Amino acid sequence: MSAPVRAAAPGSPKSLARSRPRYGEQLIKAILLISALVSIATTVGIIVALVEPTIEFFSEVSFGEFFGSTTWGPLFSPPAFGVWPIIVATLEITLIAILVAVPLGLAAAIFLSEYATPRVRKIFKPVLEVLAGVPTVVFGFFALTFVTPVLKDWFPFLGLEAKNALSAGLLVGVMIIPIVASLSEDAMAAVPNGLREGSYALGASKMLTSVRVVVPAAFSGIVAAVILAISRAAGETMIVAIAGGFKSVFTLNPADEMATMAAFIAQAGSGDASVGSIPYKTIFAVGSLLFIMTFFMNYVSARLVQKYREVYE
Amino acid sequence: MTSQPNVTIRGPEVPNTPGSLDPVFTVEDLSVFYGDYEAVRNVDMLIGRREITAMIGPSGCGKSTVLRCFNRMNDLIPGAHIKGKILYHDENLYGDHVDPIEVRRRIGMVFQKPNPFPKAIYDNVAYGPRVNGIKRNMDDLVEEALTKAALWDEVKDKLKQNALSLSGGQQQRLCIARAIAVKPEVILMDEPCSALDPIATTKIEDLMQELRQEYTILIVTHNMQQAARVSDRTAFFTADVDSAGVRHGRLVEFDQTTRIFTKPSDKRTEDYITGRFG
Repeated sequence: MSAPVRAAAPGSPKSLARSRPRYGEQLIKAILLISALVSIATTVGIIVALVEPTIEFFSEVSFGEFFGSTTWGPLFSPPAFGVWPIIVATLEITLIAILVAVPLGLAAAIFLSEYATPRVRKIFKPVLEVLAGVPTVVFGFFALTFVTPVLKDWFPFLGLEAKNALSAGLLVGVMIIPIVASLSEDAMAAVPNGLREGSYALGASKMLTSVRVVVPAAFSGIVAAVILAISRAAGETMIVAIAGGFKSVFTLNPADEMATMAAFIAQAGSGDASVGSIPYKTIFAVGSLLFIMTFFMNYVSARLVQKYREVYE
Repeated sequence: MTSQPNVTIRGPEVPNTPGSLDPVFTVEDLSVFYGDYEAVRNVDMLIGRREITAMIGPSGCGKSTVLRCFNRMNDLIPGAHIKGKILYHDENLYGDHVDPIEVRRRIGMVFQKPNPFPKAIYDNVAYGPRVNGIKRNMDDLVEEALTKAALWDEVKDKLKQNALSLSGGQQQRLCIARAIAVKPEVILMDEPCSALDPIATTKIEDLMQELRQEYTILIVTHNMQQAARVSDRTAFFTADVDSAGVRHGRLVEFDQTTRIFTKPSDKRTEDYITGRFG
């Protein structure tokens, strides 16, 4: 090593080697890793917690009875374990909710992303997100004490019961509108402006550009939003417990009272099911089933997204 | 070499209008504003039918802004408006009765960055006719447009493939095919080759010469050689700084391309094309 011709500038290090260890960097890396692990660990923990009681449940109640009969009443004597009524109720309320939330949520997203001026968007989007922050118990009572009476009044021929799947489903739908709208809007806002310009330059109107270019280009993000909304709807508890009721009847009629899987769990879990008893184990069996159903829906939609998405860039 | 005494000095106010020029657009005292900011001032130009008109000039001189007035693309920018007039044939492009959507159907546009839709090649070309409610045999229309854009042979076996699987140059020709499919009279090109390699650029330039038989083309380019190679007329823009320190784009000189590149009448044009500034 030859000596430098000129003296090094003041403050410059003599060597390129690290002058002091950077503990801060290591610490931050560790904190970030732990944060990431917490959510994974929680998921794993839930699965582990579900598996054991579920296996115990099926050692006492046969698969055939669980999936093969249509009477549900684990808390009655004699108990009945045909799970279909609560599966049907869950799917039906989820379907009603999606029928409400997807059109309204998508329309709101298109409005916000394509039509609203920046000023309107700045006001509207937070307001929409406030809707997501309304406690679901409020939606539940709103459904029970306002929506159901109004529907009874306007459509007496429906024969609505005091608690029914229709009102519950409608309000679950309202509850998930912000999820669909806000996430879809994010996906649409991420579509490069060049695509819009390309469409306008061909003489397409704003509506056609939105529907035929922006929405397809944002499709994967929109589907992701809908999946998340479906999962939230299927697992929603408070609204369906309050407005949908706890009666497990095997029916498709949305005017009837029906208990969803989540409502059953809430009901059984808040009762006096003692640890290790059959009602207690039933909670976990239903929980596992709900978990598998949502997981399966996520998987199917992820595959759909893979197949149909339009990649830009 | 600076000034030939026999050259008529033409200011931008008096564009060169030989008798042969059959104007598609007549630009009269056009100024373009973004809100209060006057981006381009007092432009007068004539765009000849089935000619290629190039717009050149340094960055920020407003040439793209002017280009986007011809199909009312600037309408999409909040606060953008114009003063002055653009006549399309004899109709005021900014008249109250004019529907910008109808304008854009007649005056197509190709952008700087190739922007095919993330759809099948076929659907990209069919998009324009479909949104315009053209019910004609779509297969023929797509083939015709792709053939005119010199792309048919390369893509005829993979029309169902996603357009983004094409190379950049192919994507840009697809965008030209997409514009042609709605049968416009004019095609605006906003630096169509700036994202392409030299070979793809040559293909687009050759294509422009073909298209010139049927279409009126306006091209904005940063590349002076390109303007010299492809265009019939050239408009040179630059930016002036006013007394308040605000930049305004301005048309310096508009003439036949051969004159602009051999005997420019304005010193600024000459400095620019000889590479002394910009």
